[in-house]
Amino acid sequence: MTEPVTTEKTVPPATTEAVVRIEGLRKSFDGRLVLDDVDLEVDRGRIVSVIGQSGGGKTTLMRCVNLLEQPDRGTVEVAGEVVHREGRTVCRDLPRLRRTVGMVFQRFNLFPHLTAVENIVLAQRKAGVAEPEALERAVALLRRVGVAHRGLALPDQLSGGEQQRVAIARALALRPEVLLFDEPTSSLDPEATREVLGVMRELAAEGMTMLLVTHELPFAREVSDHVVFVDGGRIVEEGRPQDVLDHPAQARTREFLTAYGSVS
Amino acid sequence: MSGLFQVPWSDYRSDLLDALGRTVSYTVVSFVGAVLLGLAVALLRLNRAWPARAVAAVYTEVFKNIPLLAIIFLTYFGLASAGIRLDVFTAGCLSLVVFYAAYLSEIFRSAISGVHTGQTEAGEALGLGKVGIFVHVVLPQAVRQALPGTNTMLVDLLKSTSLLVTVSAAELMSEGRLITSATFRALEVYLVISALYFALCYPLSQLLLLLERKVRAGIPLSPRRRRRVRAARALLAADLDTRTDREEAVV
Repeated sequence: MTEPVTTEKTVPPATTEAVVRIEGLRKSFDGRLVLDDVDLEVDRGRIVSVIGQSGGGKTTLMRCVNLLEQPDRGTVEVAGEVVHREGRTVCRDLPRLRRTVGMVFQRFNLFPHLTAVENIVLAQRKAGVAEPEALERAVALLRRVGVAHRGLALPDQLSGGEQQRVAIARALALRPEVLLFDEPTSSLDPEATREVLGVMRELAAEGMTMLLVTHELPFAREVSDHVVFVDGGRIVEEGRPQDVLDHPAQARTREFLTAYGSVS
Repeated sequence: MSGLFQVPWSDYRSDLLDALGRTVSYTVVSFVGAVLLGLAVALLRLNRAWPARAVAAVYTEVFKNIPLLAIIFLTYFGLASAGIRLDVFTAGCLSLVVFYAAYLSEIFRSAISGVHTGQTEAGEALGLGKVGIFVHVVLPQAVRQALPGTNTMLVDLLKSTSLLVTVSAAELMSEGRLITSATFRALEVYLVISALYFALCYPLSQLLLLLERKVRAGIPLSPRRRRRVRAARALLAADLDTRTDREEAVV
């Protein structure tokens, strides 16, 4: 099988079809409001970055997309299908929804008892991909993210950067319509961060639809089509990266960017 | 030495072999039962519904705090006097199962809850489904955690089958008592019986240690995993080789 295994788009990236659409999202944990009336849209082929302080609700917002968290109110729509409405999951096939949405975690979360290649094969097999094809796909993806030479290593034998690249390969293996990145470089050193951002940059160039929670503001500016600043559970400001990151309109955004050394 | 060994052992060879076989049968049947029941109790204890947790907790505490011998007497003599007459093999296995399940459930519970929540989340995010996550993600990692404690329990269970001498279970210890009453050579007989237990337990525990090490090193043990890793190795051959060459070239 020599068919390209990645996410090469035949659709030009400028279509306005929303892969993720969130409306009026509200979520609280033990009475503490974490997200309040949040709207978010990620169009096909677009890259949306969510920035903001830790504990501001960014990660929760992302986890509501594949329903790792159940919103209290609002609607979540993925690939044209409403999956959650007003506190009720209406998606009948949750595993299928989650295969549509790939996710990369801050702490990698590779399966420690399986080799890199097996980590990528497992979910494919459960999704009904035949063994030989699943293996071919896993190997091709490992080559793509540059860790094929470590394909038979266990996660704890891999460096952080290698683990995260394997995790990206694992998420890509199910050919998701959108990839979620939850602070993918926050637990990595600068060298590993560079490796992982390199892979993400390539995905961006290929037109992969991505929703990204990050503290890497220069990277967000470079790859994003749209930047969302979340604070205190609300979207404070959003727009083109050069507007939000370089000429923020809101005082709160300026404060945050100054703290991160991005605006003088 | 000729003073110590005077029992005509060749006369007892087939009886001893039978007894040995019975000890092994008690061990295997009871251990399998105890693992299954222990896993069920552990899952109940991790259940979201509190009545399930309560039932499991009561079970564990009761059987952890009663001597095994008391359980054996209860199932064999106690139940019989209440009209439930179990044969000695059933009663013996039942006693060992309920007793060891209590300990194993504790080991399993801590092993299962020790698997990081990020693992379950990764499984969910990959659409593995509840059963898939348990079978392919949680269980293998829990087994790795539970293996040392479980192995200790297996060897302990094997030795505990000797308590079944009290209900004449015809296992190794009972056979020893029989030979002693026929020959009055207690020291010699029980030395031999002890040696037989050692000959069973020592290789078993060494084998289990080896298994522990293999599992810890992530060596694929199931045929399916072996096939998969072998196929992957073939596909990755070029990548693995070139890298080694380059590394060697650098050195």
